[in-house]
Amino acid sequence: MVKIVIDGKDYEVPAGANLVDAAKNAAGNDIPVFCYHPKMEPVGMCRMCIVELGMEEIDRETKQPVLDDKGQPKVRWMPKLQTACTQKVTPGMHVRTATKLVEDARQNVIEFLLTSHPLDCPICDKGGECPLQNLTMAHGPGGSRMVFNDKLKLDKHVPLGDLIYLDEERCIQCARCVRFQDEIVGDDVLAFHERGRSLQIITNSDPGFDTYFSGNTTDICPVGALTTADFRFGARPWELTEVPSICPHDAAGSNISLSTRLDRDAGGKAVIKRVMPRQNEYVNEIWISDKTRFGHHFTRSEDRLLHPMLRRGDTLAPTTWKDVFARVAGDLKAAGSDVAVIAGGAITNEDLWELKQLAAGLGSERLGTWTPTYGGADLVAKVGVGKGTNLKDLGKGDAVLVIASDLEEEVPMWRLRLKQAQDRGAYLVVANARHTRLEDFATQKERNGKPVSGATIRYNVGEAAHVMHELKTRYPEIAEKLAGATNLVIVAGAEGLTLDGSKALMQAAANFLISSGHVGKANNGLMSPLPGANGMGLHYMGFTPENTQHIMANPPKVLIVAQAEPGEDDPTAAAWLSKVETVITLSLFPDKTTHYATYALPIQSFAERDGTFVNGERRVQRFYTAQGPMGEALPAWKIVAGMREALGQAKPKVSAAAVMLEISNKVPAFAGCTYKDLAKVEKQFPDVGGADLYYGGTAYDNKGGLGVQIATSADAGETPAVADVTLPAVPKAKDGELLLLPTTRLYNRSHVFKPSVLVHPRVLLPYVELNEADAHKLGVQPGDVVEIAFGDDTVRVRAGINGTPAGVAVLPRELADKATPFLPTSGTIKKVTEPVLA
Amino acid sequence: MNIIKGFATTFKHLLEEPVTLQYPEQMKPFNPRYKGRHHLRRYENGLEKCIGCSLCAAACPADAIWVEAAENTDEERYSPGERYAKTYEINMLRCIFCGYCEDACPTQAIELGHEHQLSFTDRRDAIFTKEMLIDTPVGKAEGTPRQVEPGVYTRSIPDMPDAK
Ligand code: SF4
Ligand code: FES
Repeated sequence: MVKIVIDGKDYEVPAGANLVDAAKNAAGNDIPVFCYHPKMEPVGMCRMCIVELGMEEIDRETKQPVLDDKGQPKVRWMPKLQTACTQKVTPGMHVRTATKLVEDARQNVIEFLLTSHPLDCPICDKGGECPLQNLTMAHGPGGSRMVFNDKLKLDKHVPLGDLIYLDEERCIQCARCVRFQDEIVGDDVLAFHERGRSLQIITNSDPGFDTYFSGNTTDICPVGALTTADFRFGARPWELTEVPSICPHDAAGSNISLSTRLDRDAGGKAVIKRVMPRQNEYVNEIWISDKTRFGHHFTRSEDRLLHPMLRRGDTLAPTTWKDVFARVAGDLKAAGSDVAVIAGGAITNEDLWELKQLAAGLGSERLGTWTPTYGGADLVAKVGVGKGTNLKDLGKGDAVLVIASDLEEEVPMWRLRLKQAQDRGAYLVVANARHTRLEDFATQKERNGKPVSGATIRYNVGEAAHVMHELKTRYPEIAEKLAGATNLVIVAGAEGLTLDGSKALMQAAANFLISSGHVGKANNGLMSPLPGANGMGLHYMGFTPENTQHIMANPPKVLIVAQAEPGEDDPTAAAWLSKVETVITLSLFPDKTTHYATYALPIQSFAERDGTFVNGERRVQRFYTAQGPMGEALPAWKIVAGMREALGQAKPKVSAAAVMLEISNKVPAFAGCTYKDLAKVEKQFPDVGGADLYYGGTAYDNKGGLGVQIATSADAGETPAVADVTLPAVPKAKDGELLLLPTTRLYNRSHVFKPSVLVHPRVLLPYVELNEADAHKLGVQPGDVVEIAFGDDTVRVRAGINGTPAGVAVLPRELADKATPFLPTSGTIKKVTEPVLA
Repeated sequence: MNIIKGFATTFKHLLEEPVTLQYPEQMKPFNPRYKGRHHLRRYENGLEKCIGCSLCAAACPADAIWVEAAENTDEERYSPGERYAKTYEINMLRCIFCGYCEDACPTQAIELGHEHQLSFTDRRDAIFTKEMLIDTPVGKAEGTPRQVEPGVYTRSIPDMPDAK
């Protein structure tokens, strides 16, 4: 701590702190800023933060402060004003922030920034939550000396890519956006073009603004220069109601705020107008990915399943809930214990609990996860990242290993934060069978003028577990660095692996962590990009992928498919789903699974109800009801509770909160996770939202709760033991065939993303990536349409040639409108001479 | 004595012109600043002045105004600039005719007129929609939406003679 003097008062502030932050935290003195952002390096571009700065004079001989005649230390004031944002506090620093000199200077800076500002606040999407507006009101001159008609006129509608618009007139050239992309994301896609008055933001990527994080620039842009296409003129910020929520798309569990407003087009009902980040420094800080931001349209899609449906011959006909409950109860009774449940990754804990109870009441424990690809959730519960983990704390001396996962596409928020960990000095190792975005960072030696360290490992498809198991012998240098790190986090995915392979990989990773002593403490342990927002919730409720495999092999009499789409994901779904006598689906959309359903029951999306998810770091987080239900949809737990009531098992609970209360009493992992506990907040740094808009941007402060992290068994003091790894057979292509490697794309054609029409130009056409030699052998040129045959199925996609390993064809899932393999599969590829895309 | 005084007053008034107006056949001229029901104004060229900024709704103490905005294109232009009011409704039962909306309006699009005979038999009828509120274009001016040449109406407050 050092002592500084602000406006004549003494304060103790942390040594080396930024002066703007220090003044704000210690003295509550808001030095106005535009270009400075607490999450980025200062650049001193806008001059808004100028203050008078002085140092206590020190006697060179005695090294004691020189005192004036009043006995006070003599201060040598700098002759000119200084930018506070570029100053680090030093002992004996004196700052004046409220003098006439400073006030005049601030006024002048504002006047200068407004010389060519169009003053079109009434039509600006930022109007009402705009740092420029606020600071002009607080520090600006009352009037303007500028002639309105002499203002520079520039383009007001420049699309930077498909998602973001730039208004050139409003930009104050603070470079927050450029620096965000460059420093924080590492996708260097924005730049300044020209100089002086003509200086403009441009995007230098094709397609424009090609990054998964573009939306965040609109939050931190201190003016209305960058706005999203999604919210364009959607409402004025003060008209919006903010509802705390959780991103339903991936394992990060990003905290979001759903801004809702009534809408004539929606029959006067409240709808989500935009999705904003909600600050949770443990989870997503103040950022969210573009999928989180723009992927909310499915909640209001016209295509949703709206009524409970009952099979009548070849079609599904609407019926009433009462009828459904009575009939389902009949079917379930008839099936006895030959009942199973398969639940998807985006289903809530409340739903899972009711499903589990229903099955238990019938004497069944066949609870499966969808997709059955990721093993080792039990290990995350044992040796997952310790309680109190914050990826933000990883830095010098620490290490991260990402294996068998394309984090950029699977959990972009983790990729962002791990890349930043590397920026801070962590050693980043990326191991995969093919190139991924994160690998680019791992290979860099220097970034933004600072040295970074990392390494990459390439292995043959399916050998991730082998590499992890034998890391010490195969890559002794890397293994040593990882094992010797102060803190070590391993993120292990399942790309290119069978379920057995995934389990082996997780066990091998757990063994490595245990033997190197990196378990049971914060910022150490295992993470897995389990699909969906509640992958860990599935585990804690007893749903496993092994059960799913068993269910697929031995179809039960009655199968409840809860918010899962095997019909869409599994090319072999027809074979096993049609063997089930009664399929009951709890679905958001009518899809290829409801095709097999006797009952297709509409469930509410995350935006229409209360619920909780457990993210990949095992943080239980709660979301709130934002909009009214679509059609007759009910929350899944209520539907299941209705069935249980009809079966005479139990009376339905009155609310999701009551269900969670029961869970917290009955499931040890969820102890202390009542809705009240989950809603607790604490003060976070940096301040965002509210009056601190000018500082951190328009992300929202957290009013909905930070969630509760479930302790691992290692946290709880249990010493985890190294277990044997059974290395599975590596998936191989048949002779003369290629190995189809399913991968994940963030932007895809799944039902929950398709309704976000805005992003469509960014969703790739179905494609396969081939190795050059293989393509040559097949006579395939980039862009050719090829037919891929696997099992009894075929799919037509476009071919690309992109340095995939020899003998391997990368076939991303959920791009084609047909199910493609979700496990590595052998297949053939042939060129289609008449190019017709199926 | 008093009684004579009283009768005198009565007789004097009998001979005067009556002050009673035969409302509604007869009406007094309005004070020019009288605040009756609202009008949405157009520019001389027929484009709508309203840019859908919702400031009137924010200023309204009775929460009587509902605005939803959308984006103009040159193929389908309502107002100059980028933004126009897709929905504009005033609930006349809620309105207290204070004129704050008029004060808040940056383009002088909304003005309170002289019409004051507002009666409804249904609450829904009291909601005046944009179609009811907006003036008809004057003279030969074309209405909205309309197709315009690109790059002309780029400013939301345009250099038009009647835009102050
Ligand atoms: S667009 Fe916004 S964030 Fe980017 S330089 Fe201009 S004002 Fe700053
Ligand atoms: S110069 Fe300090 S905030 Fe911009």
